[in-house]
Amino acid sequence: MSQSLSAECTPLKIEYDSCFNSWFEGYLDPAVKASKTPEARAAYAKQKADEFNQKCGKIWEQYKGCVQHAVKEKGLDTLLQQAREENPLVDPIPPLPTQPPK
Amino acid sequence: MHFFSQNFQYDHPWSHVVIAMWHKYPNSKCTHVVSIDTIDRSVDPVTGIIRTERVLGCKQKAPIWIVKLFGGSEDAFVREISFVDPATQNVTITSVNLSLSQFATCYEQIRYTPLPSNKTMFSQTAEVQARMALWRSAADGLEKWLVQRFEQNAHLGKLGFTDVLRNLWEERHRAHSS
Repeated sequence: MSQSLSAECTPLKIEYDSCFNSWFEGYLDPAVKASKTPEARAAYAKQKADEFNQKCGKIWEQYKGCVQHAVKEKGLDTLLQQAREENPLVDPIPPLPTQPPK
Repeated sequence: MHFFSQNFQYDHPWSHVVIAMWHKYPNSKCTHVVSIDTIDRSVDPVTGIIRTERVLGCKQKAPIWIVKLFGGSEDAFVREISFVDPATQNVTITSVNLSLSQFATCYEQIRYTPLPSNKTMFSQTAEVQARMALWRSAADGLEKWLVQRFEQNAHLGKLGFTDVLRNLWEERHRAHSS
């Protein structure tokens, strides 16, 4: 796995990435299959979002604290703030209208 | 303003590509990416859409005149926002440079969508735009340099990711069948 921008955060980053990846690999295919109705999708999404927080929430808090500090130290916090103001990118980008049917 | 775009398909199913996306780096073919950090992530409990915000650290040797003119350094950082939507099987990745952003922006968008026969479409566009009205020719040179770098790295990205996909899934296939 790749490094963190700060060497001291790398062990936390590796642990967090592993946690996310193993959760994600169990999530993706069933999530596609559970998307036939909005109700089924929401039920699965809620269950898996809770599971993700339960499994990876603790390491995420540790890693986030470390990386936030590193971002500030590198002077990236102001650049990030400006970038977020310019392009919030909070809402998903919709699929292309020409996207082939599933 | 300079544009770059390319499309191609990976011979792997969409979910394999999207899982492997998180394993792309480190990559011996893309050594310019030296660090990746997740700075924000959410799983929407209604739509199931995962939004991830990351900061990528890159090493790029800029031409001397660019470093002198703009004060750039070897370290360049990029902000990347991705959305994984299982319901529409739509993945988008948007990247904007943080470093030198007062002078020029490189706005990249990648999309992974499923194709028939278990293949995946990759489409990528980038707009490189210098912000200054002054220094027209210098700005133009910067854009051209950035777009050249982008083309080179995009090519390496494809080669590198093809390796990752092949290695990951061949290994798993072997493990599964043994």
